[in-house]
Amino acid sequence: MLQLTPQPMCIVDSYDDGQDAKHFTFEPLGFVHETPIQTGQFFMLSVPGAGQAPFTYTSLPNTNSKGRFVALIRNVGKLTNALFKLKSGAVLGYNGPFGRGWPVAKLQEKEVLIVAGGCGLAPLAATIDYLIDAGQAQTTTVIYGAGEARSQVLKDERAYWKSKLLMHEVMLVGNQIKNLGTPSEHIAQVLADHDRQPQIVLTCGPQAMMKSVADTCVNLVIGSEEIWLSLEKRMSCGVGLCGHCYLADQLLCTQGPTYRYDELLELENKTSQFRPHTGLFSYC
Amino acid sequence: MHESAAVSPQNKPAMSKTIVNSICPFCGVGCGIGLVTEKGQVTEVQALRNHPISQGQLCSKGWNTAFGINPRDRITHPLIKQEGQFVKVGWPQALAHIADKLTGYIRGYGADSVGVISSARATNEDNYAAQKFARAVLKTNNIDHCARICHSPSVAGLKQTLGSGAMTNSIDDVDKAEVILVIGADPTENHAIIGGRIMGAKLRGSKLIVIDPRVTRLAQVADLHLQLKLGSNIALLNGLVNIILQQGWQNTEFLSKRCEGLVELQAQVANYPLDEVAKVCGVKGEDLVAAAKLYSQANTAFLAYGMGITQFVSGTNNVIAVSNLALVCGQIGRQGTGINPLRGQNNVQGACDMGCLPNVYPDYQSAADERVRAKFAKAWHTLVAIEPGLTSLGMSNQARKGKFRSQIIFGEDPVVTDPDQNKVAQGIKALDMLVVVELSMTETAKMADVVLPAACFAEKEGTFTNCERRVQLVRQAIAPPFEAKVDWKILAELADFMGMGALMPWQNSEQIFVEMANLSPSFSGMSYALLEQQQGVQWPCNEAQPMGSPCLHGHTFPIGKARLIPVEQTPTAESPDRQYPFWLTTNRLHYHYGCGSMTRQSPLLERETPDGLLFIHPQDARDLGLVDHQAVGVRSRRGYLETRIIYSEQLAPGLLSMPYHFKEAPSNQLTNDAMDLLTEMPELKACAVNLQALDANRQPRSIGEIIEANQQILPLVAGTRTAL
Amino acid sequence: MSNQLFVLNELALLQKHLAKHYELYQIVRDPQGEEAWQENVPVDTLPLYGEAHLPLASAKGFFFAQNEGLYKFDGETFTTIKPKLSPRALFGVQACDLTAIFYQDQFFKDDPYYQARREQSLLVGIDCSGPCEKGFCPIVNAGPQVATDHADLILSNFNQEQQDGLETTWLLIAASNKGVDSLQGLKLEKAPDNWRHLRSEFKEQVLAKFADFTYINTSIEYINDGLVPPELWEELSVRCLACSGCTNLCPTCSCYATSDQTDSESNSQTTVRFWDSCQFDGFQREASGHNPSHLAAQRTERFWFHKFSDDYLPEFGRYGCVGCGRCEQTCPGSIGVHTVMRKIEQQCCN
Repeated sequence: MLQLTPQPMCIVDSYDDGQDAKHFTFEPLGFVHETPIQTGQFFMLSVPGAGQAPFTYTSLPNTNSKGRFVALIRNVGKLTNALFKLKSGAVLGYNGPFGRGWPVAKLQEKEVLIVAGGCGLAPLAATIDYLIDAGQAQTTTVIYGAGEARSQVLKDERAYWKSKLLMHEVMLVGNQIKNLGTPSEHIAQVLADHDRQPQIVLTCGPQAMMKSVADTCVNLVIGSEEIWLSLEKRMSCGVGLCGHCYLADQLLCTQGPTYRYDELLELENKTSQFRPHTGLFSYC
Repeated sequence: MHESAAVSPQNKPAMSKTIVNSICPFCGVGCGIGLVTEKGQVTEVQALRNHPISQGQLCSKGWNTAFGINPRDRITHPLIKQEGQFVKVGWPQALAHIADKLTGYIRGYGADSVGVISSARATNEDNYAAQKFARAVLKTNNIDHCARICHSPSVAGLKQTLGSGAMTNSIDDVDKAEVILVIGADPTENHAIIGGRIMGAKLRGSKLIVIDPRVTRLAQVADLHLQLKLGSNIALLNGLVNIILQQGWQNTEFLSKRCEGLVELQAQVANYPLDEVAKVCGVKGEDLVAAAKLYSQANTAFLAYGMGITQFVSGTNNVIAVSNLALVCGQIGRQGTGINPLRGQNNVQGACDMGCLPNVYPDYQSAADERVRAKFAKAWHTLVAIEPGLTSLGMSNQARKGKFRSQIIFGEDPVVTDPDQNKVAQGIKALDMLVVVELSMTETAKMADVVLPAACFAEKEGTFTNCERRVQLVRQAIAPPFEAKVDWKILAELADFMGMGALMPWQNSEQIFVEMANLSPSFSGMSYALLEQQQGVQWPCNEAQPMGSPCLHGHTFPIGKARLIPVEQTPTAESPDRQYPFWLTTNRLHYHYGCGSMTRQSPLLERETPDGLLFIHPQDARDLGLVDHQAVGVRSRRGYLETRIIYSEQLAPGLLSMPYHFKEAPSNQLTNDAMDLLTEMPELKACAVNLQALDANRQPRSIGEIIEANQQILPLVAGTRTAL
Repeated sequence: MSNQLFVLNELALLQKHLAKHYELYQIVRDPQGEEAWQENVPVDTLPLYGEAHLPLASAKGFFFAQNEGLYKFDGETFTTIKPKLSPRALFGVQACDLTAIFYQDQFFKDDPYYQARREQSLLVGIDCSGPCEKGFCPIVNAGPQVATDHADLILSNFNQEQQDGLETTWLLIAASNKGVDSLQGLKLEKAPDNWRHLRSEFKEQVLAKFADFTYINTSIEYINDGLVPPELWEELSVRCLACSGCTNLCPTCSCYATSDQTDSESNSQTTVRFWDSCQFDGFQREASGHNPSHLAAQRTERFWFHKFSDDYLPEFGRYGCVGCGRCEQTCPGSIGVHTVMRKIEQQCCN
């Protein structure tokens, strides 16, 4: 039977990390995770009085430090607004882990390309850490796009990653001409410059960006079944009940939020007659 | 209540859930609603298949009613203000206090120094008690309620042309009409179940004509949409009458037998030639002719209108122009026809019917008529007020002049909802004693000297009268929480404390209804038993019409012959110019009601429209470089607010529209105070504004934040007028 | 298990027996003529059942409540709010609604609140003996007779030919272990073996009374073949007022939203859940304002996709629609199942 009642956890600390974004460290109060958490999975955060919403793990619970973990959260609505006003020590509700994470097992001994946009770096952070820890830094390429310098998130993490692996940062607005543009516009060049030939691609960010990244990679002859995307949708439960995160016949919370590109294309086909205007990958 | 509800099987706990069939508390349609109660609270709502109007349907507001009946924010006890702070007191203490004071004012300054404001949300019984309390206990005709800013022009206009201001026909008549003409109304949003009936009739083959500056939902499904320029109603309606008379499409027999004034009207509408009307209204000439033909040539044509007619400086004349059109075509007095103003509040019809107006007793019996006064004095065994009474505005004005001492206000929040907030607040401050009877601590209640906890619709028995004059039983589902009481009980107990308890000796609401029906010719045939048996009865219900009157004016009008009255197109008080280049109109959203105090408690409805919003044509937005959902500042000559834009193809370029439900971004901060002289109806439907983009990352500030941040620059009246 | 067949000579006999062990729920008509499920009905109340008495509100709310508290937060800990109930019997559930319960049993199989209520409930189904006003259960395999795996006890009227209302012979099927247990202590005569066959014959007679609903079948095919043009969804969606009536009354609709309600007196927060509707504009809208289903047409399409898509067959073994026709009754915009399916058939045939 599912447990809908959250478990308590508290805010250990938080600091500003990118425009309207905060870097939160949470600590479970009186419970431990019994099953290992995959990178790319998510949890439901309850802010008492404000409601529930899904967020991804930026770092996985650390067994050495009371199960603490990190989430990078952007202030976009009522719930995050309430969360941002809370101080260290505040008690929140936690439920998780939920969903299908990144295909970590498949990454072994593969050359990996990670493309993130904006806050989409958050769900990929733990995977990047994993790849570094697994000794795959030399075969991992990260391309990170943001609107402008001040909207970049995970400052400390990025500094560390840059010291370990090939990380290329691009922006829509900025003063370095060579870094201007969207991530997908830079993929081919970055790979050519460093002679990388990725076998598997993980991407997360705005849906239009992911779509563009995926199409670019397909053009670079990477199979759509090797391209993984992480989607985001409104949710009230995280466990396949509330119905908000539907995508055709699937529920993102249990069957996603990570999908292979070929799966998504198939889902898109059966989703809606409205593909030309507002299907899966378009903006309204 | 379900029959079984009162019976508990042996050895079983009392029922945990019961269903009580009542009437939806929102708009004037009067849908049936099943209130499911558990542990003394309304937890669920059910649609009622057998209800004559709603037939198993509800709108989103109705389905979310349970959220609006929220005991958490309720006023729990009578409160008396002492040294600026409210102190909880018992009922006897509160009532004795009020009684002493009122008695003192009446002795010292005369009965006309006190008055009562009743509520269009309360039952007929509460309203009857309120006017009786004023006239028989206080001995004043100072009794009014809030009908002024919705359909006062309908009452004023139709009283002149027909002799009666209510909807002439029934909601059922929508299904019997060959042609349905909707002018300045958005029923799928505001009277959803009527709007749905209209769409259904259209699907089954009725012709639908919509006259509206916005492409409303009905306009989208209509056979003909005349998208007229804002405020050109009279030109268009006169133009239609002119076409009809020129083509000989009028109903000659009806005109000769039932109307007077045709010659004058004909001469005057001749000044509205087709080409000119088309130009003034921005409508194709051929569409005008088509509309004129459809409406006039139909065997039955149902005409409905809303505040797109009434909320103009020419509101009363707009109504008269509507009436002229219907009369010329004889589309009245038969099933499937009629002039049908769609009323806003659940019981605004009833509050008027019950005589909560300074100039009339129940059933519109004139307070100026000595025979009427004598009749009521005799029936009530007491002397009644003689002097003419004051309107709410009049009471406020007299208070500011120091000539009015005390007011009892039921369930209204004039400090927030009245047109001129500053003046109202000054008036209230000038009172020696303000008594507010309310559910929750409104802005007006905060200013009161005594606050009394009232019961909501789910907590009382009584009747509501919907827009088609149908009196329906409201059934109690739960007990009033804490110390709350029903309005009429409060008044009866107060009368007792004033030594006149014998005047209001009622044990239950039915006794009040019986008393009212005995004194009101239009209600003389009604009883709770009949209302129960018939699921509501439409007035007049008397010996001539024992089962009520679905259709009025079948053989004669209350004034004998109907009057055709020439009216001229009047420009709106304000038009766009270089400084304020956009028209702004107001609209309502299906999800919300009035100032949103009930509907915004539903998390679902609140989610639908999280911020205030401003609808704009995408072309206008692109010209200004605005993206969808961008925050903007909107300014008129009267005020400034911030909100988000929503692209909408419903509007013509150059026209913006704003719902008024949101206290954070009140449209009435911007709207014009210019008034229809006859009715004091402000021109809420048209004014001129300009728009400025706000920083892409900025959230719109609420009106409170703006006023706080910007005290010295802006005119500070956040007048959120609730127009219903 | 193999079903056990009994003869029941009087419904009241079974009612009274069950009332000893269960709170009895029945469809009751009130003075306004509304028919609704009611709790703790006195045992001498004759049950309303069958096609003439399908209540507008199905039994859905008994298991998936319209509004219920999930848990409470006191500032430190979260405490589950467990539904408290005693055993209860729903007496006289129609086949379509039982099919819907069967469907929701699967959907909510891991939902502790739903299951807590469900486990306490005994379902007594009664076969319908004709079509109801807006129903088309045979088209979606949801009636008119109760499927044996959809109820604990099934009643079938065995002297329907009598017009005097004296319905004294019933076939009673104990269709589950729970059903068998519920009959303990009640002396019943076994029914003849051929009654099973007779019931099937009745079914054929009842089916023959149904109108021709081929257009629904045809339209289901069009929907699954992706042949309904976007313009048609757009045309239909203009009439959707987003009242949520269809999803509220649909016995298989299960979407909900949550909200935290503050109790200032105890300074605690209760998280409640309540029925939501995919027809609301805000249903999928994200905090950023981005809305993957921002067109009314998408949402209209979504509802019918969810009810009739073959994609759900692997999971549920059937369509989400049980043919009760309640959406047709409650939709102010005339876009209930019959209107929509007829429109699709007409449009797509051209």
